[in-house]
Amino acid sequence: MGKKKTTESVAVRLTAADRTFNVIINTIMGILLFIIALPLWSTITLSFRPADFIGTYIEGMFMAPWNWSFDAYKSLLGNNGFLLAFTNSLKILVYGVAVALLLTIPIAYGLSIKDLRGKKFLTIYIIIPYVFNVGIVPTYILIAKAGLTNNLASVFLPTCISTYNCLIMRSFFEGIPGELRESASIDGCSEFQTLVKIMLPLSKAIIMTIGLYYGVQFWNDYFRPMLYLTKDYLRPLPILLRNILLAAGMNEFVEANAFGNAPVEAIKAASVFMSAIPMVIAYPFIQKYFTKGTLAGSVKG
Amino acid sequence: MKTKRIMMTVLLSLLALSFVFAEGQAETKTDNGLTHIEMWYNATQTEVGPLPDDWVGYDILRDEFGIELEAYSLPSNTDDQEVKIRAAMAADELPDFFVASRAAFLDLVKAGMVADVTDCYALMPERTAIMFDQDAINFTTIDGRSYGFGTPSVIVKNEGLVIRKDWLDNLGLEIPTTIDELYDVMYAFTYNDPDGNGKNDTYGFGAFIETGSGHEIYPGRRFQPLLGAFASEGTWDMSADNFGLQVRQPEYYDFMVVLKKMMETGVIDPTWMAYKKDDFRAAWKQGKFGIFREQNSALHSENNYAPFDKNFPEGELIVIDPPVGPNGDSSVGPAVRGLRIWCVSADAAAEGKLEKICEMFEWMGAGEGYILCGWGQEGINFYYDEAGIPVSLDTDAQLGFGQAVGQTYIQLRSMAFNYASDLELVSRYPSYNAPTSGKPMSSLETLYDMQSRKWTMTNGQDSMPLPTTDLKTFYEQGIAEFLTGKRELTKDNWTKWVAELDKMGATAWEAEGKAYAEANSYLI
Repeated sequence: MGKKKTTESVAVRLTAADRTFNVIINTIMGILLFIIALPLWSTITLSFRPADFIGTYIEGMFMAPWNWSFDAYKSLLGNNGFLLAFTNSLKILVYGVAVALLLTIPIAYGLSIKDLRGKKFLTIYIIIPYVFNVGIVPTYILIAKAGLTNNLASVFLPTCISTYNCLIMRSFFEGIPGELRESASIDGCSEFQTLVKIMLPLSKAIIMTIGLYYGVQFWNDYFRPMLYLTKDYLRPLPILLRNILLAAGMNEFVEANAFGNAPVEAIKAASVFMSAIPMVIAYPFIQKYFTKGTLAGSVKG
Repeated sequence: MKTKRIMMTVLLSLLALSFVFAEGQAETKTDNGLTHIEMWYNATQTEVGPLPDDWVGYDILRDEFGIELEAYSLPSNTDDQEVKIRAAMAADELPDFFVASRAAFLDLVKAGMVADVTDCYALMPERTAIMFDQDAINFTTIDGRSYGFGTPSVIVKNEGLVIRKDWLDNLGLEIPTTIDELYDVMYAFTYNDPDGNGKNDTYGFGAFIETGSGHEIYPGRRFQPLLGAFASEGTWDMSADNFGLQVRQPEYYDFMVVLKKMMETGVIDPTWMAYKKDDFRAAWKQGKFGIFREQNSALHSENNYAPFDKNFPEGELIVIDPPVGPNGDSSVGPAVRGLRIWCVSADAAAEGKLEKICEMFEWMGAGEGYILCGWGQEGINFYYDEAGIPVSLDTDAQLGFGQAVGQTYIQLRSMAFNYASDLELVSRYPSYNAPTSGKPMSSLETLYDMQSRKWTMTNGQDSMPLPTTDLKTFYEQGIAEFLTGKRELTKDNWTKWVAELDKMGATAWEAEGKAYAEANSYLI
């Protein structure tokens, strides 16, 4: 007779102290959620505020959705500058993440090999630039001399190998049993084939997680595009976003609002929200890998 | 099979990369006899998009002047502009013609990276006559030689002290003329329900912290009319016989007493320390306070006035004289010319581009080029009205210079405008009828009104040395502590604090300022 599989729910008896603890924790989490959600909600509702809205800021936050106006979004999406900047940002994101992963994975894999000759030296070698930043001017000179100014690659190439990400990924690879690599080697696989055929299929979680890290970094980068991309048509979304947020001209120095009839504050809020959308969409799909990926290497033994 | 797929992915990624790299364009000197000029400029409106490739000015410059122009806008924020210029300077990658802050300009001159343009003024007679008076030339002159062109960048004296005339009328009050009368009106606006809505929801005075280019130090620009009543307007007293930091003048303490009283009695909107510019402007449009300092266009241009007009069709905002203090002093604040410095790189001059740059600059400052940069093409971006004033066209393609697409064609406006001619001002600030009340409105009349009030004209106050970060923080915190009551405002405490300020570096900062002002002939 086979063993009967039973599902048994176990009631855990909570003590008064446990319940008090739960109440306190939940209250704190609720307050934290409120603190995080409030500015987000404020930005979203501000972006839908109609030009003829009369009322306080708080009233605006609780305005009925049927009174919302989409003018700010219509204006932004109808603006050539916005669409151009959005496209540039997408290019930087896609190419940047692809290049960063292509370069980070082999380095991390190499460093994860226990019997790699000079492993310690190589590890220290890649940690040095992580500790000692070279600064703006030398980097600018390097980019300029390499002919990369006014090139979208200048946004992601200087940071496409992150020491931090390399080390996380290395730890993940180190956590995969070495016997798999040995078996592959016995079966005749080269190191490259072992990486591609054995390691990568087992490493989706870390690849997605590190890809997300790189993606967020490239998508949000303002400083490098500002410094290296002089040509207006190459500028990505963070530059335009900052221009919009700083646009004193929108209500002070010119005769007309650059974005039509939507209120300036709504345009600013809508541009903030729009620029966050790709990351907001990406997170839920990557979230399932995220916990596993971020925990890589956290437990040794 | 799987390996093949992965290899294909890698190859396709690399192929895609080639497109990225292909976007970089190597800078080439033209071999067709044209002079290539790369220019970094301040865009009129950075947020609307770049100057289009089909801008007709490019063709004119190429066909008539033999110039191939590449024009790129600088970041909208002055700090970022500074970083970009300094990085380009360090890498010896400066463009041929560019805008620099005064601080960067001085370093560029020291490093020998900008050209001597002393002889260029004669090559630009029309622009020189309009823009480059002796003060402007002095602004860019070091040891007797000029290393840049100081062009106007703002309309001077375009702000004023504004009051709700309808509130005055509702309460039967006269326009205040002295600092005491102004306080009384503030009090009445706060406690006597000036809008008659039965709620205690108004304040006398409204402000936010705005410190200009360091010449209107904390609490900033919006308080200058009050500081003016105590002859303490601006960061510096620029007079030759009494030069120094205003905060060290005895009258500054009297101003602090008044401001502290305003805080204690609640006649100033208490949110002023947290307000940003947009919040401040939203607040007066919602009728939160009745006295404030504001800019003419932000106050009375159609887009900006419409929300106030909708909220208060019977409302009326008028400009008044700054209040007179106990010693008869008054001022809206320090007026500075806000000159923008255009530099020619030393490399460009060495390559023989200086004359061509002057030709281009002259063309943009007068005649055809001036109109093109300022308003675009006649019939496409604007038309002339009966008075000969350019007026924005209203086209479906949004090509009028006041419309979304048309605004990209006037991105070089800042290179052309002198910000003072009637043509520019009348075109910029057209009259209109307020959308709700139907009242005739003109922000130009408001501007002229503001300019007619009493200002303190100073040269170079906006280019004076800045305090160190620590000193600035100590200064701002000290003033804030007195105002919020954290430190009691007494004569003794104030004297002690000023002594602490000196220890923190105020004396050295003042000495540096004096040497700088003397060297640049800024003392009045």
